[in-house]
Amino acid sequence: MLRPLKLFGLFARISVLNEVQYRANFFMQVLQSGLSLGTGLIVLNVVYSYTDTLGGWSQAELLAIYGVFVLMGGLIGSLVIPNMWAFMEDVREGRLDFTLTKPEDSQVLISVRVVAIWRLVDVVLGIAVLSVAIARMGLEASWWLAFAFASTLVMGMILLYCVLLLASILSFWFVRVWELMEMMQSIFQAGRWPVGIYPDWLRLGLTYLIPVAFAVTVPAEALTGRLTPQLLAGTFVFTLVALFITRRLWMLGLRNYSGASA
Amino acid sequence: MSSHSIVVKELRKTYKVPEREAGLKAAIKSLVARKTKDVHAVDGISFQIEPGEIVGFLGPNGAGKTTTLKMLSGLLYPTAGELSVAGHVPQKRQREFLQQITLVMGQRSQLNWDIPAIDSYDLYRAIYGIPQEQFKQARDEMIEIMQLKELVKKPVRNLSLGERMKAEMVGALLHQPNVLFLDEPTIGLDVTMQRRIRAFIQEYNQRYNATVLLTSHYMADVQALCKRVIVIHHGKLLFDGELTALVERFSAMKTLVLTMSDMNGKTPDMAKYGTVVTQEPNRVVLRVAKSDAPQVTARLLADLPVTDLTVDDPPIEEVIESVFDTPEEKP
Repeated sequence: MLRPLKLFGLFARISVLNEVQYRANFFMQVLQSGLSLGTGLIVLNVVYSYTDTLGGWSQAELLAIYGVFVLMGGLIGSLVIPNMWAFMEDVREGRLDFTLTKPEDSQVLISVRVVAIWRLVDVVLGIAVLSVAIARMGLEASWWLAFAFASTLVMGMILLYCVLLLASILSFWFVRVWELMEMMQSIFQAGRWPVGIYPDWLRLGLTYLIPVAFAVTVPAEALTGRLTPQLLAGTFVFTLVALFITRRLWMLGLRNYSGASA
Repeated sequence: MSSHSIVVKELRKTYKVPEREAGLKAAIKSLVARKTKDVHAVDGISFQIEPGEIVGFLGPNGAGKTTTLKMLSGLLYPTAGELSVAGHVPQKRQREFLQQITLVMGQRSQLNWDIPAIDSYDLYRAIYGIPQEQFKQARDEMIEIMQLKELVKKPVRNLSLGERMKAEMVGALLHQPNVLFLDEPTIGLDVTMQRRIRAFIQEYNQRYNATVLLTSHYMADVQALCKRVIVIHHGKLLFDGELTALVERFSAMKTLVLTMSDMNGKTPDMAKYGTVVTQEPNRVVLRVAKSDAPQVTARLLADLPVTDLTVDDPPIEEVIESVFDTPEEKP
């Protein structure tokens, strides 16, 4: 378990050292993130000028969901998605061969290579929004709450990683799967609202197919004291299953790539 | 475990490729019932390579060279046959195996284009788990030999093709592998750069007694580096032996160069001796069948005032070309 983290640290360090040379990108990202945060908050305000609760969530609680949404978007956008793009490009251009001749697990290698540090602006903004939401909710801090929130956040991130990697793995067979990735990223946008407000079929899809519910709603539920130990355990099991399935499909994809199945 | 560095026995790789006729109707039909055709990219080749050997791996495009290299480096599963590289079965891709090999492809870059090469080297150090001291020494030494100096601190995308390839070679050898698979490492480079890369390969080979399997379209690479060549064509082994023997075996012609003393302006009819390549008043270049060479030489010496005569093999490029011109044998 330690080696992947060490590799990640090294890759991240090099990414950071290089990205800081391009300060313009930082300001662009601040501008972009600021704009999208602004519009998001305005929409929230508009909604609450008509109603006091939405699907059982108060205004402050909904702000918490939005905070988690921005935070998660930042985490995925800086740590996961850039790696998936790089991986798909490697398959297309045949550079994956170099990764496969390295004495390191290939799934680990392709998963930790790139860190888009400027996207971390969203992480900062997300935490800021969350702080405001927490203050407004008048939340009482407890170890259970902190643990539940942190663990669901991490599991949500792992689940999104699994789903995004599953989509990318398809490039072993189809080479071009960008559209699918784009689609999944836009579906993630649905996460800014509690999934409870959506019709059943969509809610199920957003829970199990594209686990936006686990990635955003569940951590927010943890923060607002809605999370039961059962749901936490369920999330844990689901995360393990997703990791397992992703691993199997990765191996299968590799076998196909190397012609072992032919 | 054998003492050979590389053992290849009856190696085969068959690709199933979809086959369909032109036209929309055929395309739709192929969605349902896919017809596939077997393509034998590598069709039963065997050879062995000893530690420390540099072997040229030759063949025209599509002969199966890259497929073989990919199987040897564990990227592709063989359809049939046995493989052993540095005592390991490549396709198992064990850590101990991957630690000992390297793969360089002239057409592709493994260095990250956005960052300086020296940063990529650091990543390779971590991935291969090279001890810090050993890494620094190997890195600085190779940078020195390649005369890369400050270039390793520039983002790779700002380097010229030749500079990039030098940086690429250094990165591929930092972990000091025993077995090198080099696929067209000098492609597209100018003569000086080619020479530099060649010298580097030679130096590395001598210092570490590393085994090198090299493909190249430049015969100068092969002549400079490889005593032995393996030629494959249509997935089959065509020749395995010394480069000089290849020329001996496959060139049907000899080149005769003769210098004559002044013949008082008369031009002798040279066409009756063989094919005239060039003819100047005192110097003639002839091409004759190898079997006729001794006889023609004797006649020339008897008939003409020859002052000097040499018998040469044709250039290696021509020999290779004539080898590749042989049509595929139909089973």
